[in-house]
Amino acid sequence: MLVQDIMTRNVVAIGPEMPISDVNTLMEQRNIRHFPIVEAGGLIGIVSDRDIRVVGSEHPKAPKGVNMKHAVRLIMKSPVLTAHPLDPVEEAAKVLRLHKIGAMPVLDDESLVGIVTAIDFLEAMTKMTGVYDATSRLEIEVDNRPGALAAVLESIAKKNVNVSSVMTTRTDPEAVNFVLRVSTIDARGLAKHLRDEGFQILWPLDKQ
Amino acid sequence: MNTTVNTNTAVITDTAFIYDPQLSSYELSSGHPFKPIRLELTRSLLQHMGLLLPQHQIIPHPITETQLLSMHNTDYIEMVKMVSKGKESDEAYSYGLGTSDNPIFPNMHEAISRVCAATLTAVDLVASGKVKRALNLAGGLHHAHANKASGFCVYNDLAIAIEHAVKKYKLRVAYVDIDAHHGDGVQWLFYDRADVMTISLHESGRYLFPGTGHTYETGKDTGRGYSVNVPLEPFSEDESYLEAFEAVVPTALRYFQPDLIVLQAGADMHRFDPLADLALSIQGMQKSYLRMSELAEELCEGRLVATGGGGYDPYRTVPRAWAALWAAVSRQEITSEIPANWIQQWQPKSPNELPQELFDSPENWQVIPRRNEIVSHNRVVVKRLLNGLYPIWKESK
Repeated sequence: MLVQDIMTRNVVAIGPEMPISDVNTLMEQRNIRHFPIVEAGGLIGIVSDRDIRVVGSEHPKAPKGVNMKHAVRLIMKSPVLTAHPLDPVEEAAKVLRLHKIGAMPVLDDESLVGIVTAIDFLEAMTKMTGVYDATSRLEIEVDNRPGALAAVLESIAKKNVNVSSVMTTRTDPEAVNFVLRVSTIDARGLAKHLRDEGFQILWPLDKQ
Repeated sequence: MNTTVNTNTAVITDTAFIYDPQLSSYELSSGHPFKPIRLELTRSLLQHMGLLLPQHQIIPHPITETQLLSMHNTDYIEMVKMVSKGKESDEAYSYGLGTSDNPIFPNMHEAISRVCAATLTAVDLVASGKVKRALNLAGGLHHAHANKASGFCVYNDLAIAIEHAVKKYKLRVAYVDIDAHHGDGVQWLFYDRADVMTISLHESGRYLFPGTGHTYETGKDTGRGYSVNVPLEPFSEDESYLEAFEAVVPTALRYFQPDLIVLQAGADMHRFDPLADLALSIQGMQKSYLRMSELAEELCEGRLVATGGGGYDPYRTVPRAWAALWAAVSRQEITSEIPANWIQQWQPKSPNELPQELFDSPENWQVIPRRNEIVSHNRVVVKRLLNGLYPIWKESK
């Protein structure tokens, strides 16, 4: 999954001379929290709802001598951290977390082609877990060695059941837990088949 | 068909048992857990018990393609028809067809259309006032989506029948789903609608297919507040299940004020069900059936359409549960003794010893560990659900 798969394409950019109060209104109207700021076709900054909220307040981070009538240029953040449309989602998410920011404009060469926010990443991650498909949860422990998961998946394929997603949790260095979302209502039947083939299934449990 | 039901008067008189031998004559694939034979087992048990008479039984009228299309996409229905005739398609899989859950079998389109026709007939009979209550045990295919087969369900007979009640008879319909699995197909098909309320009690999606049915799924747009979900812990058992049922179902129904109640009464919440783990007894399930019948009397002059659904212990459990269901729907007393003739007739086919009594003896079952924890978890879920719903309901009143 790449940044271009999850980004918002119709990005709303503003100019640096727009009064802060107008930016604020636009944010509320469009229900948007981040605006890239563009001048002469180039990205020069970004402003978030948090930058605006402190303007004119007693907050310690409030910019000195700036009020809502001033241009947004005075409070925008620059330089801007940006992503590329072909960045893997996990790489872009890491940058966002490392710098504790809420959004990144997406640049292809110099042109602004989109924006990704923390919510887009959360949505992407949720989709990756497969919970939006009608599926059952299967938890399995396999040895931490090449081909161990492949053997499980092959065995599931034999039963003509589709695997909607795979998640990993590491318990100890020798073993790996996989949570699979499988598209069958009869997860217990599938678990029985896998147990018969020698796999260690943690969920669902055998019926008493 | 011999029937005492007077089809020409609007007087509410009786209860219909929708029946056609063809409804139980299909098989999804050999060894498939969904066994239509359950219908014959139940009907035979009821006849042995003297609770099902010829005049109760009504043959369904056929369904039109337009009626199927009210809830399903054209391309999906065309695909089902095509593979039903034995033609292969690479695209079938993307419609959920040809999987282990929904294998393709000959004349699948005709067989499942018949199931839809039977539920539709039940709704027609009740909505037009020819009977007061009706049961279609072949129905209850609540997982089917607009363009996808899922969880043993190809067409959504419930949604088609509900939509028919809304469009043709202008009724407000409350759908109550007590199958152990979340009624996702019906919920999503009416998720933005205020004229249909869906209520589902089920084993939590954290443990069980299809994974949805959280308390926060309350509907969207005009349908906000009209989707109600009670996800319960595995091994909830009778008492905790019924406590949650009583806290939510009457409250939601009284708020909604339905003209018709449609009940999906899958029998897989029983202790012996191999797929799910709610662990109820027959008498626990019977209490929920009786409550539904009472609530229909209280709120909509008794108008109740009930269907079957899940239930994967076909010989030992489902016939007992659905006999109790029919008794509750038709408002007849039922005794616990199972006629010896019935046991003799079916024992040779059953993989388990058939019980002598309709009602279980849960006191003899192995005690569930963590029982207190489960009970208190379910209470928290109910509280969270109602705390979420009350403000929405208040706002729209």
